[in-house]
Amino acid sequence: MTETTETFTYDYPAIEAIVTRHEAKGRAGLLPCLQEIQAFTGWLTPDICQLVGRRLDVPLADIYGVIDFYTLLYREPVGKTIIRVCDDMACYLNGSEEVLSSFKKWLGIGPGETTPDGKYTLEVHPCLGYCDLAPMAMMGDDVHGHLTPDKVADLLEVK
Amino acid sequence: MVPRTNILGKRVGKIDPGSLPAYVASGGFLALRKALTLQPEEIVHEIMAAHLIGRGGAAFSAGFKWAAVRRETARPKYVVCNADESEPGTFKDRYLLEGDPFRIVEAMAISAYAVGANRGFLYVRGEYPLAYKRLAHAVAESRRAGYLGLNLWNTEFCFDIEIYRGAGAYVCGEETALFESIEGRRGQPRLKPPFPTTNGLFGQPTLINNVETLANVPDIVLNGGQWYRTLGPLTNPGPKLYAVSGHVRKPGVYEATMDLTLQELIYELAGGIPGGRRVQAVLVGGAAGTFLRPDQLDVALGFDTLRTIGATLGSGAVMVLDDSVDLWNVLRRVTRFFQHESCGKCFPCQLGTQRQAEIVTRLAAGNVHPGDGAALTDIGLTMRDASICGLGQMASSALLSAFSQFSLLPREDEL
Repeated sequence: MTETTETFTYDYPAIEAIVTRHEAKGRAGLLPCLQEIQAFTGWLTPDICQLVGRRLDVPLADIYGVIDFYTLLYREPVGKTIIRVCDDMACYLNGSEEVLSSFKKWLGIGPGETTPDGKYTLEVHPCLGYCDLAPMAMMGDDVHGHLTPDKVADLLEVK
Repeated sequence: MVPRTNILGKRVGKIDPGSLPAYVASGGFLALRKALTLQPEEIVHEIMAAHLIGRGGAAFSAGFKWAAVRRETARPKYVVCNADESEPGTFKDRYLLEGDPFRIVEAMAISAYAVGANRGFLYVRGEYPLAYKRLAHAVAESRRAGYLGLNLWNTEFCFDIEIYRGAGAYVCGEETALFESIEGRRGQPRLKPPFPTTNGLFGQPTLINNVETLANVPDIVLNGGQWYRTLGPLTNPGPKLYAVSGHVRKPGVYEATMDLTLQELIYELAGGIPGGRRVQAVLVGGAAGTFLRPDQLDVALGFDTLRTIGATLGSGAVMVLDDSVDLWNVLRRVTRFFQHESCGKCFPCQLGTQRQAEIVTRLAAGNVHPGDGAALTDIGLTMRDASICGLGQMASSALLSAFSQFSLLPREDEL
């Protein structure tokens, strides 16, 4: 589903500017550089990885190794907004299973999948550190707590 | 009397966390200013005298670390703030980072002056975007107003902070894995020794402290180590943040000295159990922690008091499970968590967390085989003894404690 990338700003000069900003730090600039680019593009395409590798002097295999190690970095297309539903202990104790089911139902996809319109990717995540708000989920950078199936429907604007 | 304190959280929710003037007006940067009039050794001495115990989970003496880095002659040295809080059930660092970010900036500057460093790194969890935003703002504001930068208060001391964001890996809370991550590598722990005090970030002597540990520093500098030791029990002095979640009426972060009992925390601070239910079990210390039974609620939540009953305080996470919970569903999540988060570097952990999760998932589905208990114990003890970092060493802690505290497995002769 490569077409989902077209929903992002894919502006090569802007990406080059980010790389230039981190170039002097070499490998220590790798993680922030990839994070900043991904904030722009949604995911890290092979040509981005090659550019970063060349300029920061990091082998391409290492760049793939780093991206694949970290949950929040993506080497495959993802939706414009990533929904991370916490299903760890504190959220489970407060009803995360129901919350996850309603996300699945309204989006029509399972965990790890992206909606056909490229709007959302759904993920089940280990403890996100907002246990006082259980059950909770993050939509992009926004934290939504004390979720119920009704609130999920409101968030997705399906009602 | 519940031994509540209001030291670490005194500004949280009271002042605008984005306002440097509000921070300064409430006594902010007084400790750094005072620190710069003292000899670095005097500050290390006060941290030692305070008997400040690390709040990240390992409960190591902060003063000992500070003194060790101070002694190193290699240059440059670095200070690192570990804000990669990821232990399930733990959100006390987020409470400080979001609620009082300038305090962490000030504490890092004090620690740098004390050990002789000029550069600080703050590594904040990737899933904490608001904390990151507030920290970035606090660092930029402090720099703009001259609380960070060159020759602070016209002294020789120069200091600045660089913020790194984590990218979603529990193991990066392990200090050496965190260094690897900053250095642009997969976040896999290093073999120790050498320890960070001699060979840390970029191979240089490095002081690394947890957020809550650092948050204690300004008040120790202002009031002295002796004052700090008067707070709470002599062996475990100072305020502690407890993150309470699960089946309680008022989940949240509570601050008290470490003579606070579990009973007081659950019933008097967190409002008790909703729905007329009773406590079935309490998980203290998160996924890497231990389960306690309802008849153990009178234990004080200190590092040493919990150790006497075979438990650990860990990060200070307290998760309450009422009597409606199927413990197997919780244990399945604990083991699945470690299966997902094992970095794969050393094989006791890489293989152990996989097998452990597989067996527990099968058991949770009610499919018990003879020898399961023995196999899980064997896997657990092997991970504990042979893994290179705390993740693997603690990956069986909650499971094995659940087995010893509750009769979860049928007797072999009944199978």
